[in-house]
Amino acid sequence: MDGAHRVVFAPVDNTARVHAVVRRLTDAIALGLLTDGEQLPSEADLAAHLGVSTVTLREALMALRQQGLIETRRGRGGGSFVRAPAREFDLDERLRSLSAEELRDLGDHYAAIAGAAARLAAARSLPADVRRLRRSLEEMAAAGPGAGMCRLDGRLHLEVAAASQSGRLTREEIRLQAEIGPLVWAVHDLPDRRGRVDAEHAGIVDAIEAADENRARDVAESHVLNAVERLIDRRLAF
Amino acid sequence: MPAEPPAVGAAAAHVRATLDGVFTDVARVRDAAARCLADVRATGRAPVRADLAALRPLLQARLGPFVCGLGFIAAPRLLADAAWYLEWWQTGPAGRPSQLLRDLNPESSALYDYTRWEWFTGPEGGAEKTVCGPYVDYLCSDEYVLTLSAPVHAAGTFVGVAAADVFARTFENEVVPALRRIPAPAFVVNAPGRVMASNTASWPPGAVYRDVPGYAAKRCGDFSLSVVTAG
Repeated sequence: MDGAHRVVFAPVDNTARVHAVVRRLTDAIALGLLTDGEQLPSEADLAAHLGVSTVTLREALMALRQQGLIETRRGRGGGSFVRAPAREFDLDERLRSLSAEELRDLGDHYAAIAGAAARLAAARSLPADVRRLRRSLEEMAAAGPGAGMCRLDGRLHLEVAAASQSGRLTREEIRLQAEIGPLVWAVHDLPDRRGRVDAEHAGIVDAIEAADENRARDVAESHVLNAVERLIDRRLAF
Repeated sequence: MPAEPPAVGAAAAHVRATLDGVFTDVARVRDAAARCLADVRATGRAPVRADLAALRPLLQARLGPFVCGLGFIAAPRLLADAAWYLEWWQTGPAGRPSQLLRDLNPESSALYDYTRWEWFTGPEGGAEKTVCGPYVDYLCSDEYVLTLSAPVHAAGTFVGVAAADVFARTFENEVVPALRRIPAPAFVVNAPGRVMASNTASWPPGAVYRDVPGYAAKRCGDFSLSVVTAG
Protein backbone atom coordinates (compact mmCIF):
# COMPACT_ATOMS: atom_id res chain seq x y z
CA MET A 1 0.00 0.00 0.00
CA ASP A 2 1.23 3.50 -0.73
CA GLY A 3 1.15 6.22 1.88
CA ALA A 4 -2.25 7.61 0.94
CA HIS A 5 -3.91 4.18 1.07
CA ARG A 6 -2.32 3.46 4.43
CA VAL A 7 -3.91 6.63 5.80
CA VAL A 8 -7.29 5.94 4.21
CA PHE A 9 -7.49 2.34 5.39
CA ALA A 10 -5.96 2.90 8.83
CA PRO A 11 -8.10 1.43 11.61
CA VAL A 12 -10.46 3.98 13.16
CA ASP A 13 -9.74 4.17 16.85
CA ASN A 14 -13.02 3.10 18.42
CA THR A 15 -11.83 3.79 21.96
CA ALA A 16 -11.26 7.43 21.00
CA ARG A 17 -14.77 7.65 19.55
CA VAL A 18 -16.38 6.17 22.64
CA HIS A 19 -14.34 8.56 24.75
CA ALA A 20 -15.42 11.55 22.60
CA VAL A 21 -19.11 10.64 22.91
CA VAL A 22 -18.80 10.15 26.67
CA ARG A 23 -17.02 13.49 27.11
CA ARG A 24 -19.53 15.35 24.95
CA LEU A 25 -22.55 14.03 26.85
CA THR A 26 -20.84 14.41 30.25
CA ASP A 27 -20.08 18.07 29.57
CA ALA A 28 -23.61 18.72 28.28
CA ILE A 29 -25.10 17.18 31.43
CA ALA A 30 -22.69 19.01 33.75
CA LEU A 31 -23.51 22.32 32.07
CA GLY A 32 -27.25 21.68 32.17
CA LEU A 33 -27.56 21.66 28.36
CA LEU A 34 -29.15 18.26 28.87
CA THR A 35 -31.47 18.47 31.85
CA ASP A 36 -32.43 16.10 34.62
CA GLY A 37 -35.05 13.61 33.47
CA GLU A 38 -34.71 14.52 29.78
CA GLN A 39 -35.11 11.56 27.45
CA LEU A 40 -32.32 10.97 24.94
CA PRO A 41 -33.27 10.14 21.33
CA SER A 42 -33.42 6.45 20.35
CA GLU A 43 -30.05 4.69 20.04
CA ALA A 44 -30.34 4.54 16.24
CA ASP A 45 -31.14 8.26 15.94
CA LEU A 46 -28.58 9.38 18.50
CA ALA A 47 -25.86 7.29 16.83
CA ALA A 48 -26.79 8.77 13.45
CA HIS A 49 -26.79 12.33 14.83
CA LEU A 50 -23.39 11.87 16.45
CA GLY A 51 -22.04 10.12 13.37
CA VAL A 52 -20.93 7.00 15.24
CA SER A 53 -21.97 3.33 15.00
CA THR A 54 -24.60 1.96 17.38
CA VAL A 55 -21.89 -0.28 18.84
CA THR A 56 -19.81 2.79 19.74
CA LEU A 57 -22.85 4.56 21.11
CA ARG A 58 -23.84 1.60 23.29
CA GLU A 59 -20.35 1.45 24.78
CA ALA A 60 -20.54 5.17 25.56
CA LEU A 61 -24.01 4.85 27.10
CA MET A 62 -22.75 1.99 29.25
CA ALA A 63 -19.93 4.18 30.55
CA LEU A 64 -22.41 6.99 31.29
CA ARG A 65 -24.66 4.53 33.11
CA GLN A 66 -21.74 3.42 35.24
CA GLN A 67 -21.06 7.06 36.12
CA GLY A 68 -24.72 7.41 37.08
CA LEU A 69 -25.31 10.15 34.49
CA ILE A 70 -28.06 8.33 32.63
CA GLU A 71 -30.46 5.58 33.48
CA THR A 72 -32.08 3.21 31.03
CA ARG A 73 -35.60 1.92 31.49
CA ARG A 74 -36.93 -1.02 29.54
CA GLY A 75 -40.35 -1.60 28.06
CA ARG A 76 -43.09 0.78 27.01
CA GLY A 77 -42.14 4.42 27.58
CA GLY A 78 -38.57 3.20 28.09
CA GLY A 79 -35.33 4.66 26.85
CA SER A 80 -32.31 6.48 28.25
CA PHE A 81 -32.91 9.38 30.62
CA VAL A 82 -30.52 12.01 31.93
CA ARG A 83 -29.74 12.02 35.63
CA ALA A 84 -28.23 15.39 36.43
CA PRO A 85 -25.36 15.22 38.92
CA ALA A 86 -25.23 17.40 41.99
CA ARG A 87 -21.69 18.55 41.25
CA GLU A 88 -20.93 21.44 38.91
CA PHE A 89 -18.63 21.58 35.92
CA ASP A 90 -15.07 21.50 37.25
CA LEU A 91 -12.67 23.34 34.92
CA ASP A 92 -9.47 22.01 36.47
CA GLU A 93 -10.69 18.43 36.53
CA ARG A 94 -11.60 18.70 32.86
CA LEU A 95 -8.25 20.37 32.00
CA ARG A 96 -6.29 17.57 33.65
CA SER A 97 -7.18 15.18 30.79
CA LEU A 98 -5.83 17.53 28.11
CA SER A 99 -2.24 18.35 27.19
CA ALA A 100 -1.08 21.83 26.22
CA GLU A 101 -0.60 20.53 22.68
CA GLU A 102 -4.18 19.24 22.51
CA LEU A 103 -5.51 22.54 23.83
CA ARG A 104 -3.45 24.51 21.33
CA ASP A 105 -4.67 22.31 18.47
CA LEU A 106 -8.31 22.59 19.55
CA GLY A 107 -7.84 26.35 19.74
CA ASP A 108 -6.30 26.46 16.24
CA HIS A 109 -9.24 24.51 14.83
CA TYR A 110 -11.87 26.56 16.63
CA ALA A 111 -10.20 29.87 15.70
CA ALA A 112 -10.15 28.84 12.02
CA ILE A 113 -13.87 28.00 12.08
CA ALA A 114 -14.93 31.01 14.18
CA GLY A 115 -12.81 33.38 12.06
CA ALA A 116 -14.13 32.08 8.74
CA ALA A 117 -17.71 32.17 9.99
CA ALA A 118 -17.37 35.76 11.26
CA ARG A 119 -15.82 36.93 7.98
CA LEU A 120 -18.67 35.42 5.92
CA ALA A 121 -21.24 36.78 8.38
CA ALA A 122 -19.81 40.27 7.76
CA ALA A 123 -20.13 39.69 4.02
CA ARG A 124 -23.66 38.26 4.08
CA SER A 125 -25.61 39.59 7.07
CA LEU A 126 -28.93 41.33 6.59
CA PRO A 127 -30.33 43.74 9.21
CA ALA A 128 -32.44 40.96 10.81
CA ASP A 129 -29.29 38.89 11.38
CA VAL A 130 -27.57 41.81 13.11
CA ARG A 131 -30.65 42.44 15.28
CA ARG A 132 -30.47 38.83 16.46
CA LEU A 133 -26.81 39.29 17.46
CA ARG A 134 -27.57 42.59 19.24
CA ARG A 135 -30.38 40.95 21.21
CA SER A 136 -27.96 38.28 22.46
CA LEU A 137 -25.44 40.97 23.47
CA GLU A 138 -28.18 42.77 25.42
CA GLU A 139 -29.24 39.59 27.18
CA MET A 140 -25.61 38.87 28.04
CA ALA A 141 -25.21 42.35 29.51
CA ALA A 142 -28.18 41.63 31.78
CA ALA A 143 -27.11 38.09 32.76
CA GLY A 144 -25.04 37.26 35.80
CA PRO A 145 -22.16 34.77 35.75
CA GLY A 146 -22.91 31.06 35.57
CA ALA A 147 -24.74 28.59 33.37
CA GLY A 148 -27.12 31.20 31.92
CA MET A 149 -24.20 33.28 30.66
CA CYS A 150 -22.56 30.18 29.14
CA ARG A 151 -25.73 29.37 27.22
CA LEU A 152 -26.00 32.91 25.85
CA ASP A 153 -22.30 32.91 24.92
CA GLY A 154 -22.87 29.69 22.98
CA ARG A 155 -25.97 31.10 21.33
CA LEU A 156 -24.21 34.30 20.21
CA HIS A 157 -21.47 32.31 18.46
CA LEU A 158 -24.06 29.98 16.96
CA GLU A 159 -25.90 33.02 15.56
CA VAL A 160 -22.66 34.38 14.08
CA ALA A 161 -22.01 31.01 12.43
CA ALA A 162 -25.57 30.83 11.07
CA ALA A 163 -25.24 34.38 9.70
CA SER A 164 -22.40 33.08 7.51
CA GLN A 165 -25.15 31.19 5.59
CA SER A 166 -22.99 28.07 5.77
CA GLY A 167 -24.61 24.93 7.17
CA ARG A 168 -21.24 23.21 7.35
CA LEU A 169 -19.58 26.01 9.34
CA THR A 170 -22.59 26.14 11.65
CA ARG A 171 -22.50 22.39 12.28
CA GLU A 172 -18.75 22.63 12.88
CA GLU A 173 -19.34 25.48 15.35
CA ILE A 174 -21.90 23.29 17.18
CA ARG A 175 -19.44 20.36 17.23
CA LEU A 176 -16.60 22.51 18.53
CA GLN A 177 -18.81 24.12 21.16
CA ALA A 178 -19.65 20.63 22.38
CA GLU A 179 -15.96 19.80 22.55
CA ILE A 180 -14.26 22.96 23.81
CA GLY A 181 -17.16 25.32 24.58
CA PRO A 182 -17.42 24.42 28.28
CA LEU A 183 -13.70 25.17 28.73
CA VAL A 184 -13.82 28.47 26.84
CA TRP A 185 -16.96 29.62 28.67
CA ALA A 186 -15.47 28.72 32.04
CA VAL A 187 -12.47 30.96 31.25
CA HIS A 188 -14.72 33.73 29.90
CA ASP A 189 -16.65 33.60 33.15
CA LEU A 190 -13.60 34.25 35.36
CA PRO A 191 -14.09 37.65 37.05
CA ASP A 192 -10.90 39.20 35.62
CA ARG A 193 -11.86 38.18 32.06
CA ARG A 194 -15.43 39.41 31.78
CA GLY A 195 -14.74 42.97 30.63
CA ARG A 196 -12.34 41.94 27.91
CA VAL A 197 -14.61 39.14 26.70
CA ASP A 198 -17.62 41.48 26.52
CA ALA A 199 -15.54 43.92 24.46
CA GLU A 200 -14.51 41.12 22.08
CA HIS A 201 -18.13 40.02 21.61
CA ALA A 202 -19.19 43.60 20.90
CA GLY A 203 -16.23 43.95 18.51
CA ILE A 204 -17.30 40.91 16.49
CA VAL A 205 -20.89 42.16 16.19
CA ASP A 206 -19.78 45.72 15.33
CA ALA A 207 -17.51 44.42 12.56
CA ILE A 208 -20.29 42.22 11.16
CA GLU A 209 -22.72 45.14 11.17
CA ALA A 210 -20.11 47.34 9.44
CA ALA A 211 -19.60 44.55 6.85
CA ASP A 212 -15.87 44.71 7.72
CA GLU A 213 -14.89 41.16 6.80
CA ASN A 214 -11.24 41.28 7.85
CA ARG A 215 -11.89 42.88 11.21
CA ALA A 216 -14.69 40.40 11.96
CA ARG A 217 -12.34 37.50 11.25
CA ASP A 218 -9.45 38.97 13.24
CA VAL A 219 -11.54 39.71 16.35
CA ALA A 220 -13.28 36.30 16.23
CA GLU A 221 -9.93 34.48 15.91
CA SER A 222 -8.22 36.35 18.72
CA HIS A 223 -11.35 35.92 20.87
CA VAL A 224 -10.81 32.14 20.73
CA LEU A 225 -7.02 32.24 20.94
CA ASN A 226 -7.03 34.54 24.00
CA ALA A 227 -9.24 32.08 25.87
CA VAL A 228 -7.13 29.10 24.82
CA GLU A 229 -3.91 30.84 25.90
CA ARG A 230 -5.44 31.26 29.33
CA LEU A 231 -6.47 27.58 29.38
CA ILE A 232 -2.93 26.48 28.48
CA ASP A 233 -1.46 28.72 31.18
CA ARG A 234 -3.79 27.20 33.72
CA ARG A 235 -3.08 23.65 32.55
CA LEU A 236 0.70 24.15 32.74
CA ALA A 237 0.43 25.52 36.28
CA PHE A 238 -0.80 22.15 37.63
CA MET B 1 -35.82 49.73 -20.37
CA PRO B 2 -35.28 46.62 -22.54
CA ALA B 3 -38.18 44.17 -22.93
CA GLU B 4 -38.38 41.42 -20.32
CA PRO B 5 -37.17 38.05 -21.68
CA PRO B 6 -40.19 35.72 -22.05
CA ALA B 7 -38.81 33.04 -19.71
CA VAL B 8 -38.83 35.46 -16.75
CA GLY B 9 -42.60 35.37 -16.37
CA ALA B 10 -42.57 31.57 -16.61
CA ALA B 11 -39.83 31.31 -13.95
CA ALA B 12 -41.74 33.62 -11.59
CA ALA B 13 -44.90 31.54 -12.14
CA HIS B 14 -43.00 28.33 -11.43
CA VAL B 15 -41.56 29.71 -8.17
CA ARG B 16 -45.07 30.71 -7.15
CA ALA B 17 -46.55 27.32 -8.03
CA THR B 18 -43.73 25.52 -6.17
CA LEU B 19 -44.39 27.51 -2.98
CA ASP B 20 -48.16 27.14 -3.36
CA GLY B 21 -47.69 23.37 -3.44
CA VAL B 22 -45.92 23.48 -0.06
CA PHE B 23 -48.56 25.82 1.34
CA THR B 24 -51.18 23.16 0.53
CA ASP B 25 -49.49 20.95 3.15
CA VAL B 26 -49.16 23.89 5.55
CA ALA B 27 -52.90 24.55 5.19
CA ARG B 28 -53.66 20.88 5.98
CA VAL B 29 -51.63 21.15 9.19
CA ARG B 30 -53.24 24.50 10.03
CA ASP B 31 -56.77 23.07 9.65
CA ALA B 32 -55.97 19.87 11.54
CA ALA B 33 -54.36 21.80 14.42
CA ALA B 34 -57.30 24.22 14.65
CA ARG B 35 -59.74 21.28 14.69
CA CYS B 36 -57.69 19.38 17.28
CA LEU B 37 -57.52 22.38 19.62
CA ALA B 38 -61.23 23.17 19.14
CA ASP B 39 -62.12 19.56 20.04
CA VAL B 40 -60.13 19.81 23.27
CA ARG B 41 -61.69 23.17 24.14
CA ALA B 42 -65.15 21.66 23.60
CA THR B 43 -64.47 19.27 26.47
CA GLY B 44 -63.89 22.25 28.74
CA ARG B 45 -60.20 21.77 29.55
CA ALA B 46 -56.98 23.43 28.42
CA PRO B 47 -54.94 21.62 25.74
CA VAL B 48 -51.75 19.73 26.68
CA ARG B 49 -48.82 18.43 24.63
CA ALA B 50 -50.29 14.95 24.32
CA ASP B 51 -53.38 16.33 22.54
CA LEU B 52 -51.19 17.37 19.61
CA ALA B 53 -50.20 13.72 19.02
CA ALA B 54 -53.44 13.60 17.01
CA LEU B 55 -51.55 15.46 14.26
CA ARG B 56 -48.89 12.77 13.87
CA PRO B 57 -50.46 10.59 11.15
CA LEU B 58 -50.90 13.69 8.95
CA LEU B 59 -47.40 15.04 9.65
CA GLN B 60 -45.69 11.71 9.01
CA ALA B 61 -47.66 11.13 5.81
CA ARG B 62 -46.85 14.54 4.30
CA LEU B 63 -43.09 14.39 4.94
CA GLY B 64 -41.34 13.34 1.79
CA PRO B 65 -38.75 14.20 -0.79
CA PHE B 66 -39.89 17.82 -0.95
CA VAL B 67 -41.07 18.76 2.55
CA CYS B 68 -38.32 17.79 5.05
CA GLY B 69 -39.93 19.16 8.21
CA LEU B 70 -43.55 19.77 9.16
CA GLY B 71 -45.51 20.62 12.23
CA PHE B 72 -47.34 22.91 14.61
CA ILE B 73 -45.60 25.42 16.85
CA ALA B 74 -47.66 26.42 19.85
CA ALA B 75 -48.02 30.05 20.89
CA PRO B 76 -46.37 30.54 24.31
CA ARG B 77 -48.62 29.51 27.21
CA LEU B 78 -51.20 27.87 24.92
CA LEU B 79 -50.57 24.47 26.49
CA ALA B 80 -51.25 23.73 30.14
CA ASP B 81 -48.18 21.51 30.57
CA ALA B 82 -45.45 23.38 28.61
CA ALA B 83 -44.69 27.06 28.11
CA TRP B 84 -43.05 26.33 24.74
CA TYR B 85 -43.71 23.40 22.45
CA LEU B 86 -43.28 22.22 18.90
CA GLU B 87 -45.07 19.18 17.52
CA TRP B 88 -42.43 18.96 14.82
CA TRP B 89 -41.52 16.03 12.62
CA GLN B 90 -38.65 15.79 10.20
CA THR B 91 -36.99 13.27 7.96
CA GLY B 92 -34.61 11.62 10.43
CA PRO B 93 -30.98 10.68 9.76
CA ALA B 94 -32.13 7.13 9.06
CA GLY B 95 -34.69 8.38 6.49
CA ARG B 96 -37.77 7.72 8.65
CA PRO B 97 -39.94 10.48 10.11
CA SER B 98 -38.63 11.38 13.54
CA GLN B 99 -39.89 13.82 16.10
CA LEU B 100 -37.77 16.79 17.04
CA LEU B 101 -37.02 16.63 20.75
CA ARG B 102 -35.56 19.96 21.73
CA ASP B 103 -34.97 21.33 25.17
CA LEU B 104 -37.40 24.27 25.26
CA ASN B 105 -37.00 24.92 28.95
CA PRO B 106 -36.02 28.58 29.58
CA GLU B 107 -34.11 27.45 32.70
CA SER B 108 -31.72 25.27 30.72
CA SER B 109 -31.74 26.44 27.10
CA ALA B 110 -30.90 29.74 25.44
CA LEU B 111 -32.60 28.66 22.21
CA TYR B 112 -36.10 28.02 23.54
CA ASP B 113 -37.62 31.34 22.46
CA TYR B 114 -38.79 30.74 18.91
CA THR B 115 -41.18 33.69 18.89
CA ARG B 116 -38.55 36.07 17.48
CA TRP B 117 -38.09 34.06 14.29
CA GLU B 118 -39.66 35.52 11.18
CA TRP B 119 -41.60 32.27 10.54
CA PHE B 120 -43.37 32.94 13.84
CA THR B 121 -43.64 36.76 13.86
CA GLY B 122 -45.06 36.81 10.30
CA PRO B 123 -48.14 34.65 11.01
CA GLU B 124 -48.48 36.14 14.50
CA GLY B 125 -48.67 39.58 12.87
CA GLY B 126 -51.48 38.43 10.59
CA ALA B 127 -49.68 37.35 7.40
CA GLU B 128 -51.53 34.41 5.80
CA LYS B 129 -48.36 33.17 4.07
CA THR B 130 -44.82 33.74 5.29
CA VAL B 131 -41.76 32.53 3.38
CA CYS B 132 -38.63 32.71 5.51
CA GLY B 133 -35.08 32.02 4.41
CA PRO B 134 -32.97 30.45 3.18
CA TYR B 135 -31.30 30.42 6.60
CA VAL B 136 -29.23 28.00 8.68
CA ASP B 137 -31.83 26.45 10.96
CA TYR B 138 -29.92 25.66 14.16
CA LEU B 139 -33.14 25.22 16.15
CA CYS B 140 -34.40 22.15 14.27
CA SER B 141 -32.30 20.66 11.48
CA ASP B 142 -28.86 22.36 11.36
CA GLU B 143 -29.47 22.60 7.61
CA TYR B 144 -29.90 25.45 5.12
CA VAL B 145 -33.67 25.62 4.73
CA LEU B 146 -36.73 27.63 3.77
CA THR B 147 -39.61 27.74 6.24
CA LEU B 148 -43.14 28.40 4.99
CA SER B 149 -45.66 29.21 7.68
CA ALA B 150 -49.28 30.20 8.31
CA PRO B 151 -51.22 31.25 11.42
CA VAL B 152 -53.51 28.85 13.29
CA HIS B 153 -56.61 30.32 14.90
CA ALA B 154 -59.01 28.70 17.33
CA ALA B 155 -62.17 30.51 18.43
CA GLY B 156 -60.86 33.65 16.74
CA THR B 157 -57.59 33.68 18.71
CA PHE B 158 -54.05 33.13 17.42
CA VAL B 159 -52.90 29.85 18.97
CA GLY B 160 -49.74 29.08 17.00
CA VAL B 161 -48.14 28.47 13.64
CA ALA B 162 -48.36 25.68 11.06
CA ALA B 163 -45.11 25.39 9.14
CA ALA B 164 -43.17 23.34 6.61
CA ASP B 165 -39.42 23.23 5.94
CA VAL B 166 -37.85 22.68 2.54
CA PHE B 167 -34.10 22.22 2.16
CA ALA B 168 -32.62 25.13 0.19
CA ARG B 169 -31.02 22.57 -2.14
CA THR B 170 -34.44 20.96 -2.86
CA PHE B 171 -35.95 24.33 -3.73
CA GLU B 172 -32.93 25.12 -5.90
CA ASN B 173 -33.22 21.85 -7.86
CA GLU B 174 -36.88 22.61 -8.45
CA VAL B 175 -36.52 26.17 -9.80
CA VAL B 176 -33.08 26.32 -11.44
CA PRO B 177 -34.24 24.65 -14.70
CA ALA B 178 -36.73 27.51 -15.14
CA LEU B 179 -34.05 30.09 -14.32
CA ARG B 180 -31.69 28.54 -16.86
CA ARG B 181 -34.22 29.16 -19.61
CA ILE B 182 -33.68 32.90 -19.03
CA PRO B 183 -30.97 34.04 -21.48
CA ALA B 184 -29.28 36.32 -18.90
CA PRO B 185 -27.95 36.09 -15.31
CA ALA B 186 -31.06 35.61 -13.15
CA PHE B 187 -31.89 34.60 -9.59
CA VAL B 188 -34.74 34.40 -7.09
CA VAL B 189 -34.40 36.82 -4.17
CA ASN B 190 -36.50 36.97 -0.97
CA ALA B 191 -38.00 40.12 0.54
CA PRO B 192 -35.02 41.11 2.74
CA GLY B 193 -32.66 40.55 -0.21
CA ARG B 194 -31.22 37.05 0.19
CA VAL B 195 -30.60 35.04 -3.00
CA MET B 196 -32.63 31.79 -2.86
CA ALA B 197 -31.65 30.14 -6.16
CA SER B 198 -29.67 31.36 -9.13
CA ASN B 199 -28.52 30.55 -12.66
CA THR B 200 -25.16 32.30 -12.15
CA ALA B 201 -22.17 31.79 -9.85
CA SER B 202 -21.92 35.58 -9.51
CA TRP B 203 -25.07 35.47 -7.33
CA PRO B 204 -24.93 32.16 -5.45
CA PRO B 205 -27.63 31.11 -2.94
CA GLY B 206 -27.10 32.97 0.34
CA ALA B 207 -25.61 36.08 -1.29
CA VAL B 208 -27.13 39.46 -0.43
CA TYR B 209 -28.77 41.40 -3.27
CA ARG B 210 -29.56 45.07 -2.99
CA ASP B 211 -31.08 46.95 -5.91
CA VAL B 212 -28.52 47.13 -8.70
CA PRO B 213 -28.97 49.64 -11.55
CA GLY B 214 -29.94 47.86 -14.77
CA TYR B 215 -31.33 44.78 -12.97
CA ALA B 216 -35.08 44.16 -13.26
CA ALA B 217 -37.20 42.44 -10.58
CA LYS B 218 -40.38 40.48 -11.34
CA ARG B 219 -42.65 39.57 -8.41
CA CYS B 220 -43.63 35.91 -7.98
CA GLY B 221 -47.40 36.33 -7.77
CA ASP B 222 -48.62 37.37 -4.32
CA PHE B 223 -45.35 36.30 -2.64
CA SER B 224 -42.86 38.99 -1.67
CA LEU B 225 -40.16 37.24 -3.70
CA SER B 226 -38.83 38.27 -7.07
CA VAL B 227 -36.99 36.87 -10.04
CA VAL B 228 -34.18 39.37 -10.67
CA THR B 229 -32.67 39.51 -14.15
CA ALA B 230 -29.50 41.33 -15.17
CA GLY B 231 -30.17 43.86 -17.93
